[in-house]
Amino acid sequence: MALTESLTTEQALSIYRTMVRIRACDQQIQKLLASGAVQFMYYPCAGQEAIAAAVAATLRADDYMLTTYRGIHDAIAKGTPVTEIMAEIMGRHSGTSKGKGGPMHLSDPDSGLMVTTGIVGGTLPIATGLGLAAGLSGSGQVTICNFGDGAANIGAFGESLNLAALKKLPVVFVCQNNLYAEYTAFADSTASASIADRGPAYAMPGVSVDGTRPGEVYAAAAAAVARARSGGGPTLLECTAHRLQGHYFGSDESHMDQQALSAARAATPIDTFGAELVAGGSASETELAAICSEAEAEAGAAVESALQAADPQPAELYTDVFADIAQIPYRQAGPAPREPDLGAMETAEISYAAAVTQALDQAMAADERVIMMGEDIADPAGGVGKVTLGLSTKYGEQRVMATPISEQAIIGAATGSAMAGFKPVPEIMINDFLMVCMDQVANHAAKLRYMSGGRTAVPLTIRTVNAGNVGRFGAQHSQSLETWFAHMPGIKVAVPSNAVDAKGLLLSCIDDPDPCLFLEAMRLYYNPAPVPVEPYRIPLGLAACKRAGADISLISYGWTVLECLAAAEQLAAQGIEAEVIDIRTLVPLDWNAIQASVAKTRRAVVVHPATEFCGFGAELAAKLHETLHGQLLAPVRRLGAAYTPPPFTLALESLHFPTTDAVVALAQESMEATA
Amino acid sequence: MKITMRVPKAAVSSQRGQLSKWYVEDGAGVKAGQLLYCIEMEKTALDIEAPFDGVVKHLAEVGKEYAVGDAIAELTRA
Repeated sequence: MALTESLTTEQALSIYRTMVRIRACDQQIQKLLASGAVQFMYYPCAGQEAIAAAVAATLRADDYMLTTYRGIHDAIAKGTPVTEIMAEIMGRHSGTSKGKGGPMHLSDPDSGLMVTTGIVGGTLPIATGLGLAAGLSGSGQVTICNFGDGAANIGAFGESLNLAALKKLPVVFVCQNNLYAEYTAFADSTASASIADRGPAYAMPGVSVDGTRPGEVYAAAAAAVARARSGGGPTLLECTAHRLQGHYFGSDESHMDQQALSAARAATPIDTFGAELVAGGSASETELAAICSEAEAEAGAAVESALQAADPQPAELYTDVFADIAQIPYRQAGPAPREPDLGAMETAEISYAAAVTQALDQAMAADERVIMMGEDIADPAGGVGKVTLGLSTKYGEQRVMATPISEQAIIGAATGSAMAGFKPVPEIMINDFLMVCMDQVANHAAKLRYMSGGRTAVPLTIRTVNAGNVGRFGAQHSQSLETWFAHMPGIKVAVPSNAVDAKGLLLSCIDDPDPCLFLEAMRLYYNPAPVPVEPYRIPLGLAACKRAGADISLISYGWTVLECLAAAEQLAAQGIEAEVIDIRTLVPLDWNAIQASVAKTRRAVVVHPATEFCGFGAELAAKLHETLHGQLLAPVRRLGAAYTPPPFTLALESLHFPTTDAVVALAQESMEATA
Repeated sequence: MKITMRVPKAAVSSQRGQLSKWYVEDGAGVKAGQLLYCIEMEKTALDIEAPFDGVVKHLAEVGKEYAVGDAIAELTRA
């Protein structure tokens, strides 16, 4: 079969040119690594050039692409400038991501390259989000999600394909099967004969082609892209092409079938395609040689320019974590954000849960880019906690999307759509379930702004619930996991303690340019308060003084703020005036307010629902001692949950969580201490 | 433009390499792609090419062992 049968001469030559440009860059990079002038982990793409070049030839400039650490061929084919790729892999400021991403995290949204991930399978969930965004906006953009055969065996694969098929998303899942998952041969890691076989299991076409033959790849990709663009839904396209090297530059090749490797090297896709073009009269050998020289000159010039390019300045360390550098902990600058004046606003007595619903309703009414996705959130269920009840009826099931029980796909759908300009508010039913999608939250949503050098942003708000201390939810439904997220640079963490804050903080999170975790407390869900009817925003990074006092500071957030307020009442009866500070957001942190309170009272107890050991109280206590050493009248005390999984029986659960009595006892001990 | 060529991190486990041969004299002018020297690492001989045209300055001695990252040569743009 002719390699070129589905291609015009012009297309074939264009694909050939892309293939040799890829090869030239790949070879330049490897020469440079061998010279020792630069050093980084490099995963060569040699052998897979035809897949990238032919798939990209079927695309529009504004179509999205996602790829993996073995992905410079995809980046080059999609149109990412070679000079910026070379600069990035050398860590230069002029690189695609200011040198902050490196070869595993190339990002060039101008050419549609949205994410390069170093996590096997990490881009599949995000592809669903880019597809979702294209569908909602009617842009007609198609998303190409490249991954290796190894990624087909990670859970995110199944979640993403199912969601994409279920919602008919315009995504083409391109499995570049290079016959090895890192060091493991395909047959040793995959029970089925092909990856494409799994397509029909997800109700989508599964197409398998020879990934060394540009004509075959082009024909199959063009059909899949046309299907996606016309609303026909996703396709799983498996392109098989033998990897021509070991796992990474310099790695041994003893795990590879030596005969097959030799055979593949003896007939590379580029050489075979070139010979075919000459034999078919599409080009002369001289013309092809000229294309190769041009490509080598381009790669050589890019390397030279990158070698001479400047490194990022030291100040770049802290840029691109958040849109605003002052929101990094302890980097507050200038005056604190102002508390909104809610005094004149008309209020209605509603619960904490209803305040969340009202915020969602008002955000969706004000901005059609606000969308939601999560398990059971559409009517008639309206969410397990009924917080989203009525919203899908009012705004449609496209904007309030019920999903399968697929947390990775939920967060990926939110991440991708956020990158494409939406303001998604995914719901993870209970915060304990975030543990099954931590890769999407921690490695992707939280890091993409930084890894892309600020070229992309992920303005999503994950709503979730802490169901601790409401009684008998047990070990997997009662944890309070906010500290995990505060420990992960790149995501903000809001933990409201009352209905007014819940509404105002949620509206701020939805507007925020960065990913936010919004942790609701089920223990507070049905607590009513007079909540302003109109929309208002409580800025992130602004603590609230819930009760003024001169003797001791009780610092808390979430439901334990109520324990602190109750404790303060009891302490007042004993003549001890406690000040209660609700920090409201862990990140950004209103450190100035905490420091000012403790500088005044000189005694503090930090109280939180999460495990005391390594909890947020440890951070605050350490920082208070570092800052106010010598001024404190007593050591800062901490009170959190006991170091046990939350027990089921009330007989033990009541001992696990912080109580008002325990706060009082610690405050009394603190008062008795003398400096 | 000038770069320092070093013992490469040829594999994750690479620690040291031995300079086994110079293909060009100290101070020689070379073309991009020309072989400059050979380093032996973990029983593999690596022939190192010039990344661009330039003049080579030797910074290491044949037969000696060097750690990954140690300088072997300087290449200055002709």
